[in-house]
Amino acid sequence: MDIISQLQEQVNSIANLALNTIGTLQRDAPPNRLSPNYPEPPAHPTEDGANFSEEPKLMSASLVKAAKQFDVLVASLPISETGEEAQLKRIAELQAENDAVGQELQKQLEAAEMELNQVQELYRQATDNCLNLKKPDVN
Amino acid sequence: MKIVTSDVLPSLEEQGVRQLYSKGPNVDFKKELRSLNSELQLHILELADILIERPSQYARRIEEISTVFKNLHHLLNSLHPHQARSTLIHIMELQIKRRKQALEDIKRRREVAQRILNESLATLDGH
Repeated sequence: MDIISQLQEQVNSIANLALNTIGTLQRDAPPNRLSPNYPEPPAHPTEDGANFSEEPKLMSASLVKAAKQFDVLVASLPISETGEEAQLKRIAELQAENDAVGQELQKQLEAAEMELNQVQELYRQATDNCLNLKKPDVN
Repeated sequence: MKIVTSDVLPSLEEQGVRQLYSKGPNVDFKKELRSLNSELQLHILELADILIERPSQYARRIEEISTVFKNLHHLLNSLHPHQARSTLIHIMELQIKRRKQALEDIKRRREVAQRILNESLATLDGH
């Protein structure tokens, strides 16, 4: 896959990770005490207790990892610092060079064609002469 | 002949999105992409924070995160014309190289043919 598509996919996966991280944390967070006036919220069931403190670490680790991966991909962008005008100028140069080479090729081809015809003519004459020399005696 | 490429990507302003990276003719893509990435991480962290402190204030953070994402994608999309021109340049360079080689080839073979012809003519004349 080309680098730009990879970068776009990476952005999308960062978005997904952020969504899952925030959403999961919000959904699974134990109730918090709002004010000293209210009683302590009911104790959180212990089955989730051990896992819950691990979840944020894991999820944030993968989020940061994805962000670092994005940076790595950006670093591998094969972009020269040249802007649009420099590229267009280079394209114009290359086009001119291509035209010149094309004309040269055309000239050479025509000259080679002519020489080919000359050689073929020579062969024709040579074979004619051979045949004339070898004309059998009729009598 | 002037060569132009026409970009059909509407600018961010046209889509009603605030542009976070510097405008100007030559954007340093790598730098801006990296800084947008850092800004994104910062915003996500701020969102997590605000959900703890003042959960009702989430909307602004979400909107900022969304703006950063839109900027990221827009920046990446505007890399496509650059990539297209680079590919074109590469193809043209290859083509010129091939044609120059063909040119050399033809010249060489013509020289060889000429030499053989001269030799054979000299041989014939010798008789």
